[in-house]
Amino acid sequence: MQGYFGRFSGTMRRFLGLAAALACLAFPARAASPDDPLEADQAFRPTVRLISGTADTSGRHGIDIEYRIAAGYYLYRDRMHFEVLPATLLIAPAEFPRGLEVEDPFLGKSVIFRQSATIHLPFTVSSVRPGQYRVRITAQGCAENRLCYAPFVQELPLNIPPGYRVTDSPVRPLPPGLQR
Amino acid sequence: MKAWLPFAGVGVLAALAGASLWLASTPTIPTPLKSEAVEAAPAAVMAAKFVDHEGKSRVLGQIAGKVIVVNFWATWCTPCVEEMPGFARVQARWEARGVRFVGLANDDPAKVKAFGERLAINYPLWTGEAAVMDLSRRLGNRIGVLPHTVLLDGEGQVIESRIGIYAEEKLEARLKEILPQGI
Repeated sequence: MQGYFGRFSGTMRRFLGLAAALACLAFPARAASPDDPLEADQAFRPTVRLISGTADTSGRHGIDIEYRIAAGYYLYRDRMHFEVLPATLLIAPAEFPRGLEVEDPFLGKSVIFRQSATIHLPFTVSSVRPGQYRVRITAQGCAENRLCYAPFVQELPLNIPPGYRVTDSPVRPLPPGLQR
Repeated sequence: MKAWLPFAGVGVLAALAGASLWLASTPTIPTPLKSEAVEAAPAAVMAAKFVDHEGKSRVLGQIAGKVIVVNFWATWCTPCVEEMPGFARVQARWEARGVRFVGLANDDPAKVKAFGERLAINYPLWTGEAAVMDLSRRLGNRIGVLPHTVLLDGEGQVIESRIGIYAEEKLEARLKEILPQGI
């Protein structure tokens, strides 16, 4: 192959390269039009993190769900529901960041999250059995001024390692900026 | 190896690049948002069951129209609620020409009724549970977003399936294409 293309002049090779690059660049531009709505899992990307009551976490323990929200999209706070499965691992009501309060002439007031949001699910037990769990989230959101997603479910695996302990009182005063 | 091969390759690549750049540069607005393949048979579409505001069972097959505009919506969906007054105006202008709208929502019937009255919606708003989004998905809305509007002919064949807001003037222009005589 090297020998074959080596027969062509530098100008020809540059021309070939340019044409190939143009073709490669141009086709994805059409395939991924910015008008195409994202899948819910692309627009709203959650990750889950196990939190133990350390100084780093302000003494909180439980589960943090961090949402990365695509530009131009938002999640409704009050339409989110959380479960941990199997249900032997009990959680208290979710603690939400403040969010943005919006008023709609039809829908009234609601709180939405844009860009990112970290939601905390405190454990209501003092000890947690190690094992594999799943966090099941039901959520609703929209693409600004364009469309909304019917309630969608996202499931995330959660591993609680042996030795994990909830070492202090499960429900503590919330840090500033969080609300239950 | 043929000496003309690289020239042919260059030609093909250049043509592809040119064509794709042209396609990419064509306006993406106001083209409809991408809707996926329709999987529902017309008979199944017309037989799907919903409930009207009085709690009576309804099927799309009961709607006699040359074009049936099925709008999937929800009371919590702002873009849906924004486009509905436009639908009501189109319904009023096109009713005599055989166009019939129906709204389908997986929502609380009382809330749907209240919304309909508040927005002065002049077409039926029916509710259903999972059947609503199930039908929407089978009519091309794979990712499950709202609003979703489907134009059916009188037999339940899909003429168009569009997700996202269907602007009043665009819908009217489309109806003029479908019913060019305006009869």
